[in-house]
Amino acid sequence: MNPEDIKYHKEHTWVRVSGKKGTIGITDYAQDALGDIVYIDLPEVDSVVDADSEISEIESTKATSSVISPVSGKVLEVNEDLSESPEVINEEPYGRGWIAVIEIENASELEDLMDAAEYGKYVEEESK
Amino acid sequence: MKLAILGAGPGGYVAAIRAAQLGAEVTVIEDAEVGGTCLNRGCIPAKALVASSRALAKARELERFGIEFKGEFVPNFAKIIERKNKVVSTQVKGIRGLFKSWGVTLKEGRGVLTSAKEIEVRTKDGNIEKIEADRIIIATGSRPVQIPAFPFDGKNIISSTEALEFTEIPKSLLIIGAGAIGCEFGCIYRELGTEITIVEMLPRAVATEDHEISELLEKELKKKKIRLITEIKVEKIEVKDDGVHVFLSDGKELVTEKVLVSIGRALNSDNIGLEAAGINRGSRGEIIVNNKMETNIPGIYAIGDVAGGMLLAHKASREGLVAAKNVMGINSEIDYNVVPVAIFTSPEIASVGLREHQAVEKGIKYKTGHFQFRSLGKAHAMGEITGFIKLIAEESTDKLIGAHIIGPHASDLIHEAALAMKTGLTIRDIAETIHAHPTLAEGVMESAEDLHDEAIHVPKKMSAVLK
Repeated sequence: MNPEDIKYHKEHTWVRVSGKKGTIGITDYAQDALGDIVYIDLPEVDSVVDADSEISEIESTKATSSVISPVSGKVLEVNEDLSESPEVINEEPYGRGWIAVIEIENASELEDLMDAAEYGKYVEEESK
Repeated sequence: MKLAILGAGPGGYVAAIRAAQLGAEVTVIEDAEVGGTCLNRGCIPAKALVASSRALAKARELERFGIEFKGEFVPNFAKIIERKNKVVSTQVKGIRGLFKSWGVTLKEGRGVLTSAKEIEVRTKDGNIEKIEADRIIIATGSRPVQIPAFPFDGKNIISSTEALEFTEIPKSLLIIGAGAIGCEFGCIYRELGTEITIVEMLPRAVATEDHEISELLEKELKKKKIRLITEIKVEKIEVKDDGVHVFLSDGKELVTEKVLVSIGRALNSDNIGLEAAGINRGSRGEIIVNNKMETNIPGIYAIGDVAGGMLLAHKASREGLVAAKNVMGINSEIDYNVVPVAIFTSPEIASVGLREHQAVEKGIKYKTGHFQFRSLGKAHAMGEITGFIKLIAEESTDKLIGAHIIGPHASDLIHEAALAMKTGLTIRDIAETIHAHPTLAEGVMESAEDLHDEAIHVPKKMSAVLK
């Protein structure tokens, strides 16, 4: 089930907002489609990312893909645990598999994102 | 026909054997060892080290293959160097044996042209010998170029030659230049435990390759924890008690055990008597030749690095074959349209023909096909899934105009593409050729299919996240 407390981007990423900070990751649907994740190229702390653009690259045994940031802002923190154990993304995409924390620059961007129900419908459409 | 060849590298020795096969009386003059830079200080010894480094990498991941080992694999560097030397000496003996078998005379000493028909040789025992010849081929090669502000000292600031002769594995190595040589040595010594920093003036590693190839290599270097610093120059180097201090153009100062300078090669066209023979040189010191490898002086030819162009052993060898034929009166011309390149990083890189940005610059309407090794069963079975194959074809004719491979056995796989280009085959020809299963070569077929959106092992629908 997709958690209710986060917002979803159409490129299958999510953001959990807490004040000015947004924690981001990839969705369960994305991790399942990618298969076993073997590597993630984490962004650099203090780098700045734009919404709808690549924040990280992820590699699975099936594919290499861009991780698209749902929001714009400065990278405050990255999940260093993923360097050693990228498979955590498969195990807990909404929990320990988070990728980075971003200082949200423009809260209005959040309005363009989907809630859990909308994302559920979107994925259903996409996988038809 | 008396032929004298100055230099026994991959240009000179190949020319010698072909000319002898065609009936020439051949003398080769070499002041170091047969095989030249390629065999003694370049391609072959480096590949022996690559093999040791990859063996270690494989050993360290045996568990992934279901093989258990209780203990730790560690490199024994003295034995690695010993093995490398053995590989080289075996090949040197091989060339000497070929010379003997074809009746090629080897004069060991330093040769200098004294006229268009004569070479003076100072032999290793100090004697001077004069060799007269009807024809001369100059194949004196090149040497690592040094940066005048901080020249090689053989110990702290070194060239690739010394990097093949370390007595112990350096703790840290700063490499100036992220070209083929710099990246190869970076990968070799990183696996052996050296901390590697590569400083490159240009925006990307292996800058002469297709940009997508550079991008993936850069990512793989990062995975190995090789630090790559681009668009930065080295401004000053100071050797101090605690190591070599390297000052970068962004104001940073790095400390390293050794500095390897791999920024290119200088041509060996000085002090070989070109003036005495009246041979013309170009702005980079290269001997100017036509497509028959002839210099401006009738009867004198130049081949390989000293003749300019790409600094590649196989390009020198091909020029040697062309020169040998022309020496013997058989008309032959060089064709540089299809010259494959191989770079032995991990993962390996190989390419032939146009890079995508070159196709754009030339205004060619083209299509590209891509295929990831990770979509191949064989790559998974081998445990080597990183990398891709990219083909570029002219849209109107469907002819292959460029191929770029990064991944397992790239240097072997590229030749299907090279042959296709040489013979003017289309992407459809490649796609419709049955490729054996399970092989990495299936990737060449699938990338050809992908160019027409017909690849079997690529999912139909790909949102950006799955691209």
